[in-house]
Parts: sequence; structure tokens; C-alpha cells
Amino acid sequence: MTDATPVLEARGLTKAFPGVVALSGVSFAAYAGEVHTLLGENGAGKSTLLKTIFGVQQPDSGSVHVDGQEVRFDRPSDAMRAGIAMVHQELSLVPQLTAVQNLVLGRERSKVGIVDWREARERARLALDRLKFDAPADVPVSALSVAQQQLIELARAVSTDARVIIMDEPTASLTSAESERLFSVIDTLREEGRAIIYVSHRLKEVLALSDRVTALRDGALVGTRLRAEVRSERDLVQLMVGRDLDALGVQGDTTPGDEILRVENVSVPGVVHDVSLTLRAGEVVGMAGMVGAGRTEFARAVVGADRRSAGDVRVHGKLVRINRPADAIAAGIALITEDRKHQGLALHMSTASNVTLMDPPSRFGVIGRRRQREVAAEWLRPLNTKMQVDQPVGTLSGGNQQKVVLARWLRNDSDVYIFDEPTRGIDVGAKGEIHHLMRQLAESGKAVLMISSDLPEVLAMSDRVVVMRDGRLVAELSREELSEEEVVRHAAAE
Amino acid sequence: MPPPNDLEFRVRPARIEGTEPVSHSPAASVVPTTPAVGSVVRARLGTIARQGGLIAVIIALVVGFGAARPFFFEANNLMNVLLQASVVGILALGQTYVLLTGGIDLSIGSTVAVSAVCAGLFSQQTSPALAILGALAVGALCGLVNGLLITVTGITPFIVTLGTMSIYAGLALIIAGGQAVYGIPVPFEDALAGGIAGIPIPVVLFTVLTIASVLVLKYTLFGEYLIAIGGNAEVARLAGISVGRHTATAYVVAGAAAGLAGAILTARLGAADPTLGADLLLTAIAATVMGGTKLAGGEGSMAGAAFGAILIATLTAGLTSLNVQAFYQQVAVGAAIILALLVDQLAKRSRT
Repeated sequence: MTDATPVLEARGLTKAFPGVVALSGVSFAAYAGEVHTLLGENGAGKSTLLKTIFGVQQPDSGSVHVDGQEVRFDRPSDAMRAGIAMVHQELSLVPQLTAVQNLVLGRERSKVGIVDWREARERARLALDRLKFDAPADVPVSALSVAQQQLIELARAVSTDARVIIMDEPTASLTSAESERLFSVIDTLREEGRAIIYVSHRLKEVLALSDRVTALRDGALVGTRLRAEVRSERDLVQLMVGRDLDALGVQGDTTPGDEILRVENVSVPGVVHDVSLTLRAGEVVGMAGMVGAGRTEFARAVVGADRRSAGDVRVHGKLVRINRPADAIAAGIALITEDRKHQGLALHMSTASNVTLMDPPSRFGVIGRRRQREVAAEWLRPLNTKMQVDQPVGTLSGGNQQKVVLARWLRNDSDVYIFDEPTRGIDVGAKGEIHHLMRQLAESGKAVLMISSDLPEVLAMSDRVVVMRDGRLVAELSREELSEEEVVRHAAAE
Repeated sequence: MPPPNDLEFRVRPARIEGTEPVSHSPAASVVPTTPAVGSVVRARLGTIARQGGLIAVIIALVVGFGAARPFFFEANNLMNVLLQASVVGILALGQTYVLLTGGIDLSIGSTVAVSAVCAGLFSQQTSPALAILGALAVGALCGLVNGLLITVTGITPFIVTLGTMSIYAGLALIIAGGQAVYGIPVPFEDALAGGIAGIPIPVVLFTVLTIASVLVLKYTLFGEYLIAIGGNAEVARLAGISVGRHTATAYVVAGAAAGLAGAILTARLGAADPTLGADLLLTAIAATVMGGTKLAGGEGSMAGAAFGAILIATLTAGLTSLNVQAFYQQVAVGAAIILALLVDQLAKRSRT
């Protein structure tokens, strides 16, 4: 830790959008050899601050300094040239290109216009090795899982000579093992004297990693603390939201009721092998596993989003034929997908249209727009949100977008709710609300399956945990048998 | 479906002692009301500005051409411009349905040719009403073939309709025996090329279809689903919307619109030309994108497509009145398209 000139400093940044001040007079400094964590609820201004530092947006007032010199970044490439790299929360890889191509994109070495792929592959391999990440580097990244893509994104930032690396929720989709690897890489980067700006909602890792913590609230700076001044996660939460929160998660005390969903021998060639599972009314079943274990693929096969080669689905004991998502909806099975932007929302449609997408209130094919707005507001209200329902949903924050998706599926009144990574990339406040919601659904007699890579969440929420590995269901743990070690042992055993 | 308020979701985190009982609603505070209203207003203003912009340009063109050639102001001439715009406009409306889904129909020009020839042949056999219905059916069938090929095989719309563009053009020539169909009965001509209270029937049809399409897009499930499919087909599918059926229907609508356009052309020209088409296709797409429809899907405007068609017709008619050669007219129309989208880009940039 040093008191020298910060490598990167923002002074009094203010940025207003029509009707809202996203940042007001925020100052922030990143020092070489330090991890500086940025905390704040969704909408607190973290993203705006990072975008302004990185040249995606221009501040209305205030300035950015590198090594004490005032700089002006008109676009991200200016920032990169000044030695700043950013790992985006939303993936920014070109899906059709391979890991190697993505890693060297824009930095290819060429002779008379011909790319030296051997050199590129070597460079990419080096970057991936550094993360101890062995994924197929020569297939299009779209064939990889979200987590694998996230790691490639990280590798790209790390492989540059950037002196400042901004990481916006890098662990959001990583398993704990992968996160550990990332942390050791961050330690190395810190020792190399790079400055890391880190954003995460996972307080445990914030405590473990940070040298300095800065909290934002409603676009304003709450304060910056040295690690030594922070005693516990509770301190962090209070710094961040100005209030305390319930303990993470809630387990139910109701004994599970009748079996609602029975899935037998579901297989998807190459990814899911012979998985059987039952869900009972009133319980939340956690599904744990490493990324790539086939959990998402299993869920998609159950609801008919992807084709399965075998497997029966019974709802309330009755065999149902599910060949496409519409069949699953009719049978009372809801899948709330992991990737909101790509599988959850039609981004330029209004919030109201998104909430009522499955069944817009209509008569003879004509939609009642006023009724639609009322219905949307009605279903969003219990989710503790206030938002304008005729606004394009793409303009909402991540937490609110997730609530729009939830409202849509709640309105449909299913018997079975399958949540795939329901709290990925969501702040602690909204996270707690979603946990309560899942518990509430279970208590009202629904069956809930929660696929999650967030181990503390799995442990805190689940009445029962199933673990998948390499496409197979390898363990089922009752609440008594449940522990972090046990889950990890099954998920990783080989 | 139970009203949501029955479930009392206990989602608010408990307060601890010592904290202020302020109404700090957690994630709810994320989107304050003011900017929301602001952005809605801005979005509306954006649409109004775009339509208004097109109308302003049309008026400016009329005034400009009228200043140079006073006869341009005459009601007769203006009606003629609208008549010119009708066929392209009807095609542009049809194309908008398809573009909304994120697809494209390159075959509408050829569909016009097939339908025109069929309309001509039908008109010689049967009543005008049945001949028109027949032409519509032929157009719709062409669209159905496109729609099924696209949704069943999964081949991209561009390729499928590129293929059928050629196939339908060939069919038109085969059916017509390689030459124009002459001898269109007068009752048929009157049915589509005549007038109601001095307004040409194509203009009436164009107007009615524009209004109907605006309403379909704004108020019907079909319109809502097309936007959802174009915006994010996977989301639509996971929400249980039958993506294939709605997408195919969009092509059927575009085909039927082309069928109507073909019948109108046959009636107006008094002959059915099997080589019609290529020009119509490009002009219709130009009108559509000028009106604000995105080729990527999910976003589009029916009124915009109609005004786009009127703008192009005004420009063409005006340049003709100034005795500008057809070659230069082509250049001018092309420049106008690019200019329209350029203005759009600049406006967007200044907004952010």
C-alpha cells in the first residue's frame, strides 16, 4: 500500500441524465498494487462511474487523472491506450470467434496483413494458463458456457499490460473454485504493482480481497475506508445501503407436501445423462455443480427449450408431453432463465409488454393497453418496485429487469418454478428480496428448483440440495447432511 | 389467476434499531419516477419527430416543386402523386410486417408480377371481385411458401426469398407465356383503377391499409408478438409464443399485400406485365427504412412506411415535372434514402 500519487484518479465527477443525477461530485483514486473495491446497490452509480472513467461516457464536470496528469478519454480506446483495461459485466466477446481470436482481437500481430496465428495462439494460451483455465480455445466462444466466456474475458484484460484493471462483477457467474483461481490471479496482479478496481456484491470476497473500499449511494460518494477500518460484512452492508439486512436466505420450516414434479431419466446427448429428480410442494431444492455440469441444459430440456433424447416429465403424477416451452407453460412449469438480456427480455419493448408477454390482456386479439399497464403494475407492486411500466425495459437496472422477468412468470401462476442463477449480478438488497420471494412461493405450495453457483446462497436457501457433475446427478443432500465441503466434494470429485 | 396482492410477499428487509425509519425502499429506489416520465416523453417525441420530419420534408418538396412548376400545387397533380405512392406504399406496409420479425422478403417484387399476371388472366374468366380475391390468394400463397420455408427449414429469410424471388419471376413469365397479358376487361379496370368521390381507389386502399396496419401494430396480439419475435425470438419462444406461426403469417401478409399491388397495377395499366418487380422491391424497402423500421427487427412504424412511400413518390414526380432525366432521379432517390437515415443517426447521437 502506498500513499504516492494514484495511478488513476477521478475528481469531482458529475454526470446527469435527463431527469436524474447519476453521479454527483464523486472522487475516487486507485493506487498501484492495491485492490480498490467499489460498493453500492444497483443504480447507485457504480456503472456510470466506471463508464466515465473508461471513456464510454463524458462527465458533465470533474476530471480524470492518470499519474496526476489530467486526461480526457473520448472513447474506450483512449483509456486502453493510457493503460486501463476493463472486464465488462455484460460479456463483450464476439460469439462467432474462438477464444484465441477474441483474446488477441484488435491486437493481432501480422506480416503484410496476414495474421500470425501461431503467435496469437501462444499468446492466448499464456493468458489462459495464467488463469489455470483449460477450455477449448479453438471453438467459437458461443459454444462455451457463460462462466467460461467470463474467464476468457478476464484473460483478455489480464493479458494486456494495463496498469489499471477494472473488474465489474467478475465472479458473478463463476463457481467457487473458479473464483478462487481468479483471486490468486488478482493477488499476482497486485504484487506486480497493478491497480485493480473491483466491483462485487459478494461481501465475503470484498473483505478477503480489498485494500480499500469505496461506497456509492444514489450517485453520491458515501465514503472510502481502508480495509483495516472495516470489521465485518455487516459494516460493508451498512456503508453501502445505510441500513442492516436480514441474514442471507431463509430456510422454510414447513415439511414438504405432495410431489408436484417428477422428472425421469432426462438425457441430452453429450451434456445431460439420465437425470431424475422430484420436487415437492413447499420446498426449495438447490441445484449445485460446477459450471458446465449440465444444470442449465437439464432445466432447458425439462421445459422443452432444447430437445432431449430421453426423459419423462410428470406433473402431479400425470405424464405430460413437453416438446416446446409452450407445453411446459401449459403444464405449469416455469423456467426463469439465467441470461436476462438474451433469454428473458425483449429489450426495446415496454416494461408492461414484457411483464404480460405470455398472455397480454386482450379481447378478440386486440390488446387493452391501459389494462396491460394496470396488470403489469399490479404484478410488479408486490416485488417492491416502483417503475414506469411504459418505459423500454432496456433502460432499467439489472435488479429491476430481473423483477420484470419474475413478474411475468408469477402472473402465469405455475406449479413449479425453476430459477436459473436468479441472483446473478444483483445487489444484496434485491437479492434478499428474491430469496424471500422464492421462499414465499414454496410456502404457498409451489415447488421451487434453484440452480445456483453461489454456494452460500445454496446453503442458506435450500431445504435439499442436488449436485450435478459432468451431466449426471451425483448426490442428493438433505439439510442435515448439507455443508459447503460436502457440496464441493461431490461437485468436484473425480 | 389470483391477484398478486393475496400473497403478502415479505420482501422488505427488517430494519435494525438505530437506523432511521426513512422510506428507503431498497432496490425500488433504482429508477426514480422523473427520468422515467422524461424518457417516455422523449421516446414519444422521437416518434413524432420522425413522422413529423418526413411530413415536413414532403411539404417542403411540394412547396419547392410548386414554386418552380405551379401546376404541381393542383389537386389533380397531388392526387396523382398519392396514386403513384399507393402501390409502393402497400408493398412497404407488407414489408414492414416482415422486417419487424427480423426477416426480409426480397420476393415481393416478383410476387407482384405473378399476381399481376394471374389477376389479368382471372379477370378474363370471372367477375372483378373474384379476380381480385384470386390475385390476393396467389400473393398470399407466395408468402406462405416463403414463410414455411423459413420457419420449417430454418434457412435465413434473405436466402429463401432470394431464391423465391427468382422462382416467382420465372413463374410469372411462364404463366404469361413470356409476354404481357392484354385485353383486361373494363369492369376489372374500373374496380381497382376507378375512383370513389373523386379519390382513386388505390389511394383509398392505401389509406385504409395504413390505418389498419398502424392499429394492428399498436393494439393486436399479432403486432405485439411480431415485435417480441423481432426483438428477441428466444424470449418469445420461452414465453410460449409460437414463433413459427406468427413469423410465417407475417410473410403471408406481405405476400397478400403484393397480390393486391399486382392486381392494382394490372387494372391501372390495362395489361399485366410479367417483368414487373425489381424496382418495386427496392423502392418499398427504401420507403420502409425511411419510415424508421430497423432491418434488425423489433422496431418499426407503419405510418413511417406510408410517409416514406409518399416522400419517394413526391420526389420522383417533382423531378419529372422539372424534366430531370430518369437516371438522375434514381440518383436523387438513393441520396434521399441515405440522407434520411443520416439525419436519424445524427439525431440519435445528439440525444445521448
